[in-house]
Amino acid sequence: MYALMLLQASADDVVREMERLQRNFTFLNCGLWVAWLVLVVYVLMIVSRERKLKREIAGLKAMLEDKPRG
Amino acid sequence: MRDKILYVLGAAALILLARDMVLITGFPPEINQGAIFKIIFFHVPMAITALTCAMVAFVASILFLITKKFQYDALAVAVTEVGLAFLAGNLITGSIWGRVAWGMWWAWDARLTSALVCWLLYAGYLMLRNAIEEPTQRATFAAVFSIFAFIDVPIVIFSIKWWRTQHPQPVFWGGGSFPPDWKAVFGWQMLAIMLVGVVLTAVRLRQEQFQREIDSLRRMAHAL
Repeated sequence: MYALMLLQASADDVVREMERLQRNFTFLNCGLWVAWLVLVVYVLMIVSRERKLKREIAGLKAMLEDKPRG
Repeated sequence: MRDKILYVLGAAALILLARDMVLITGFPPEINQGAIFKIIFFHVPMAITALTCAMVAFVASILFLITKKFQYDALAVAVTEVGLAFLAGNLITGSIWGRVAWGMWWAWDARLTSALVCWLLYAGYLMLRNAIEEPTQRATFAAVFSIFAFIDVPIVIFSIKWWRTQHPQPVFWGGGSFPPDWKAVFGWQMLAIMLVGVVLTAVRLRQEQFQREIDSLRRMAHAL
């Protein structure tokens, strides 16, 4: 049916429809990228926080081990 | 062992997401909205995951106030943060869809506004936590705030039923329809995003345990 509509349409209509479809795909692409990006950025934030916390724990443990000796 | 389970769940979620992406890309464009309609495969599961996180935070906050056990406070902050990330994804993908479907990025209708207020409330919850030093006071104030913030969640869910909104009626409980193969992929996508939420919450929960360990090590260091 869609193909039939295109057959009856003028060249301008076809160009306009193709542009609409292209724009639609561009926005969908953009939306999917953003959805993934939000998750990836959050995962990176979590990973960097985990590293910082582990470093802090190691530093405090080292400090506590040194203190009684001092 | 717990780490291994998390890796397996994370890998399963990623494989499912990648598989769903391939299937979603292969689906034909929707007849009225075109290809942009397929953003629903991310937009809706992200919203459901975010609101589930809000629900868990609400229950955990009540349990903290009753039992004063800090595990519940840790769970509340972990799920709130994860939920906030998913709600951000939901708002952004919705805005991109709106630009194509409505010709504008944002509309101040009941659904969009209540969802934005929800995001701001839970961001406020995290800011409140950062502002209070004393752990018991922080957990108590945060729990009360989380219970208060949850009032917005039913408003977000039912706003499209209670008021006439620019936001469309839901596909599954608003008279819409979905082809069966789309429905199956939507179900898998829902599961994949929920799994990502579970894994991120578990990782975030472990970080709260690390934070408590740091607090106790600091107390020991001060005592020496």
